[in-house]
Amino acid sequence: MRSLERLTLAHLWVAFAAFAVACFFGTWQMWARSPLPAPFVTPDHYFLSVTAHGVSMAFVLTTFFIMGFGYFTAETALERPLPGKAWAWLGFILALAGTLMATAAILSGRASVLYTFYPPLTASPIFYFGLVLVVVGSWIWCVLMIVAMSQWKRAHPGAPVPLAMYATVANAVMWLWTTVGVAAEILFIVLPASLGWIDTVDVGLTRTLFSWTLHPIVYFWLFPAYIAFYTMAPQAAGGRLYSDTLGRLSFVLLLLYSLPVGMHHLFMDPQQSTGFKFVQMMLTILVSVPTLLTVFTIAASMEIAGRLRGGRGLFGWIPALPWERPMVLATGLSFVMLFFGGGGGLVNMGYGLNAMIHNTSWVTAHFHLIFGGAVVIMYFAIAYEIWFPLTGRIASSLLAQRIQLWLWFCGMMVMSLPWHWLGLQGQWRRVAQFDYSNPIIAAWGPWVIVSLVGGLLLLVSALLFIWNLASFRRRPFTAIASFRFAVAVHPPTRVPAALNGFGLWNVLVLFLMVAAYGWPIAQFFVLEAPQAVVHRVDRGG
Amino acid sequence: MAPQPHAADRQWWVWSTAIVVSFVVIAALLAFVVLRIGQGQSAGLSAFAAICRSLGLQAGSPAARQPSSESKAQPVSMVAWTPQVIDRLHHPNVKNGAEIAANICASCHGENGVSPNPQFPHMSGQSAFAIYKQLHDFKNGARVNEIMGSIVENLDDEQMADVAAHFSALTKGALDPRTISSGDPDVVRLVEYGISGRGIPGCASCHGAHAGGPIETPTLAGQRQEYLLAQLTAFASGDRHNDIYNRMRGIATKLRKDEIEKLAEYYAAVRLFRPQD
Repeated sequence: MRSLERLTLAHLWVAFAAFAVACFFGTWQMWARSPLPAPFVTPDHYFLSVTAHGVSMAFVLTTFFIMGFGYFTAETALERPLPGKAWAWLGFILALAGTLMATAAILSGRASVLYTFYPPLTASPIFYFGLVLVVVGSWIWCVLMIVAMSQWKRAHPGAPVPLAMYATVANAVMWLWTTVGVAAEILFIVLPASLGWIDTVDVGLTRTLFSWTLHPIVYFWLFPAYIAFYTMAPQAAGGRLYSDTLGRLSFVLLLLYSLPVGMHHLFMDPQQSTGFKFVQMMLTILVSVPTLLTVFTIAASMEIAGRLRGGRGLFGWIPALPWERPMVLATGLSFVMLFFGGGGGLVNMGYGLNAMIHNTSWVTAHFHLIFGGAVVIMYFAIAYEIWFPLTGRIASSLLAQRIQLWLWFCGMMVMSLPWHWLGLQGQWRRVAQFDYSNPIIAAWGPWVIVSLVGGLLLLVSALLFIWNLASFRRRPFTAIASFRFAVAVHPPTRVPAALNGFGLWNVLVLFLMVAAYGWPIAQFFVLEAPQAVVHRVDRGG
Repeated sequence: MAPQPHAADRQWWVWSTAIVVSFVVIAALLAFVVLRIGQGQSAGLSAFAAICRSLGLQAGSPAARQPSSESKAQPVSMVAWTPQVIDRLHHPNVKNGAEIAANICASCHGENGVSPNPQFPHMSGQSAFAIYKQLHDFKNGARVNEIMGSIVENLDDEQMADVAAHFSALTKGALDPRTISSGDPDVVRLVEYGISGRGIPGCASCHGAHAGGPIETPTLAGQRQEYLLAQLTAFASGDRHNDIYNRMRGIATKLRKDEIEKLAEYYAAVRLFRPQD
């Protein structure tokens, strides 16, 4: 096995191991919230589980997957060795050590603060140090991606950077911007509190800093799915990408508009004024533009493929597509979940509508459909797609892969559609147990059991996914094949400098961040800001 | 990366910047001026006040006048966890605290905070926050007790913090669920889970180790049985009412008499987790 394959597989296996464990936690949480008697239910266990599930899914699965997939993309799309492989391994080791530290803190019950931290709750310092190491590991990845692209550009002056790599670097640049908020929160407020150096924290400031990170981090997770839509799905369908330029534009707009919008997570918070919330709501509307561009471009690409395969008429190209291929199937299922999840998201981002569903199961349903559904199903499809070039072995059963994808889709829909309904009725999230004997909420019980069934389908699907990957081992080794990303209908020969680098977009991001977050953060240092007492969860309150 | 000299690339800079800046300007005009003046007018606010509120320079919503009430709020407790109080509890005058404890408190609560009389609670095992909260409430009349009321009358905030910190430093601990090996299963269930059908949360959700209760939540493990019984009964009848948000009164009124007795017995018997022992 060559070093790139070893590096990529190491990252992906850590990601998927964390994913599988987290699925058990998630299913148990649904059971605990349902009217059915679940084992081990105490509030302590519940919040430990929510923390473990959130950290594994949101930080470990995503970060390791994105790093591994990024290294793979850098070498295959640029067709040259990845620079600084030793650094890449250092990043992996740091992130792995950090993951193990955070895991130990969580499982010992000293870090039940959820993955979003919620100061003034304060966990064991080991938890925060662990997460800092994961982020440092990801920063190394960012630098390596940027260096890889710069070296390639120097060697190919004027040539357009391959779309897959351009998108990967867009994600790396965005991640560097994204982590500024949470890094400031952890290093200057949460860690000092955890170490006992300060007794009070400014909750308004910490929540504002976390909101800086909280929206673009979701786009960090989403990028691989979009990269697969643009550079893998058209190829898998037997067609070509409709437009390379629209792809670049979408990735650039994601970088630009995912950052200055995090305050839509704070609509109900008192520390920010209505004016800045309104401005960020307006900017949030723009985030839908790259997604709509993507839906258009990918649908057009699929139509090209369907017509090449003999599809006729207005919709005849749809059944003509090769749905038996996991990448095509996953793209279709992902779009369906994107439709429902995106619709829910439009409600979340409306300043007025948000008040209806704030902190209810609706929000949980939204991010499970978008991230757990539309994005993670593409992680599966990417893994299936690149496992052959990585291992030199072909899949033992495409049917098992399709069953796994369908199970995931059905499980996610069955689990999250009732959550939307329950959220509208006011079922709150982040609560361990419900008193179903109370007539006001008794009618929720059956719907929670339906979501538990969805959760069980997801668990079966997750285990089948691991089994599918492991079963590659049972096939004979053929050869390490090179991997090809999708080609555009009109492959670009020259693109504007603005769409071949990130200088312009970094300047605009800086402008937008100063406009959106300048005063909202500065106010905590200018005006008198109330402090809250640190509440330690690692020392019995 | 510097802007490219090509005319086409310069166009990208010009147009992208123009679009982004215009959008922000339009959003800001709507957010801080246009909408606010309209909202302020209907709420009876001046345009200036509405704009200041939308910027966060003045408190309040630009869409509501926020009527002020003439009646004075009457908090159940006057304790405020200000950084000054917290700092004093963490860095007390040790000598001062020990002196007050020996001269005033020890006769009823014991020299080491272990009370010789079943009517008086142990101080041992309580946090400084828990003790300070009760002393402060006695002093302000939020909690009424003849003996304690007259004793704390002459103590100032710093002295109360010193003596609270003194007792909390003697032993540290909280109910450790691992020490529960036996006991009436109904009571254990009440402590761990509560009774959701009657709207009673588990005691351990606030009073347990690693629990999420407020900072002043007292430790119950190992406390005097008679004292616990008296307090739960007083919360149930409303005679004691210094619990913020009605928390303990709400719970105690839902408990049956026999459950109160069993809980007092349970907590008095449970072992305290004392790492310093």
